[in-house]
Amino acid sequence: MERVRARDADAFEVLYDQYHRLVYGVAFRVLSDATAAEDVTQAVFLRIWSDPALFRDGNFGAWVARIARNRAYDILRSRALHPQSELPETLPIEDAIEETVLANINGERVRLALEQLPPEQREPIELGFFGGITHDQIARTTGQPLGTVKTRIRTGLRRLRAALQETVTV
Amino acid sequence: MTPHDELLDNVAAYALGVLPAAEAADVEAHLQTCEQCRAEYRDLRPAVTAVAYSAEACADPTVGGVTASPLLKARIMRRVRAETASQRKAPRYSPAYVLAAACLAVAILVGLVNLSLSRKLNREVAQSALQSQTIADLTAPDSRRYEFSDGMVVMRGDRVYLTMHDMHAPPPGHVYQAWTLARGAKRMAPSMTFAPGNGGVAFVKLPESATNIAAVAVSVEPEGGSLQPTTKPIAVVKI
Repeated sequence: MERVRARDADAFEVLYDQYHRLVYGVAFRVLSDATAAEDVTQAVFLRIWSDPALFRDGNFGAWVARIARNRAYDILRSRALHPQSELPETLPIEDAIEETVLANINGERVRLALEQLPPEQREPIELGFFGGITHDQIARTTGQPLGTVKTRIRTGLRRLRAALQETVTV
Repeated sequence: MTPHDELLDNVAAYALGVLPAAEAADVEAHLQTCEQCRAEYRDLRPAVTAVAYSAEACADPTVGGVTASPLLKARIMRRVRAETASQRKAPRYSPAYVLAAACLAVAILVGLVNLSLSRKLNREVAQSALQSQTIADLTAPDSRRYEFSDGMVVMRGDRVYLTMHDMHAPPPGHVYQAWTLARGAKRMAPSMTFAPGNGGVAFVKLPESATNIAAVAVSVEPEGGSLQPTTKPIAVVKI
C-alpha cells in the first residue's frame, strides 16, 4: 500500500490482482448479480486509488472486504430490497484491535472450513454476513428463537476460528 | 446461561455486524469496560474476516467460481494509468515555492491571518495544492467563495474546492464525505471522502463540475463512503 500511496500504478495492479477476487466475491455473494458485483469492484478499487489514505493500518484484506460489503449493502438498500432493514449504518469498530490474517489464508480453504460447520451454525453466519439482515431477521428467516440464533452465531464463529487456527491468527 | 454469557453472544453478533444500531452502540459501550468481552471480540473478528474470504472462492475460476470479466481490470487500469500519465506531464515547481504557495492559499481561504496556521498544515494539505492551477484558482480575485461556519467552498471556472478547519478526527471506522447537489436535482450525489490532517484542516478538490452545482454538503460516513448520506450533514452550502 505504501507504493500505491506514492501513485505507483504497477503496485496498484498487483494489489488488484491479489484482492479483486475477494472484493468481487463478497459483492457477488451479497448481490447475486455479476454486473452489480463488477460495479462494486470497480468502485472499491478506484476509491482506493483516488484516496489510498482511507486504509490506515491493520489487515488490508479484512478492510477491503468490509468496504466491498458496505458498498454492496448500499446497493441493496438503494434497490429497496430491504425496506425494513434495521442494519446499523456503521460497521463494527476495529481500530483498536490489530487484526492480522496470515498470508496463506485462501478462500477455498475457508469455504471448506465453513462447510464443516453444522448447518444450524453456518446458516445464520452466512445469512448475517452476506444477507445484509439483522439478527432478529435471521431468527424469523430460520424460525429459531433470537437467543438461539445469537448463541449459534457465537458457537459457529468460535468453531470456525478454531478450524482456521493454522491460517488465522491475531 | 448467565447474563454475561448473553453479553458474549451479543459480542459475536456485533462482530458479525448483525446487531441493529442501538444494540451495537450498547455493545460498543460495554466493550470499553469489559476485558473478557474485548478478548472475545478479538478472538471472533478473524473468523468474521474468514467468512468474507469464503466468498473469494465464488470468484476463483479454478473451483468453478463466477469470475469478474478481464475487461473490468482493463477498465480500471486504463483510468489509473491515464491519471499517472497526466501527472507525469504536469509542470514541476520548486518544492519550497509550492509549499509556501499552498500554505498561503489555504490560509487565505480559511480566513486566518495567524501565521501559526502554516505550522498546522499537514502534508496532505500541501500535497492537495501541488498544482499550479489550484493555487491560481484559490488566490484569483475572480474566484467565487461561499463561506460557512467551519470553512469555505471556492469555485473558479468549472473547478470546485472545499476547505474546512477546526475539524475533529472522524469516529473510528468513519470518514468525512462531500456531497454535491446538481441544479434541478432532488438528491445529493456522493463526492469525495476525506479526513482532516493533524491540525484539523482539510482541503480537497471535488471532481464535479462547478457549472452545475447548486449546493455542497459534508457528512460523516462509514469508511469507503456511502451512496446516500447516512448521517445529518455537518455543513451545507448553497451556491
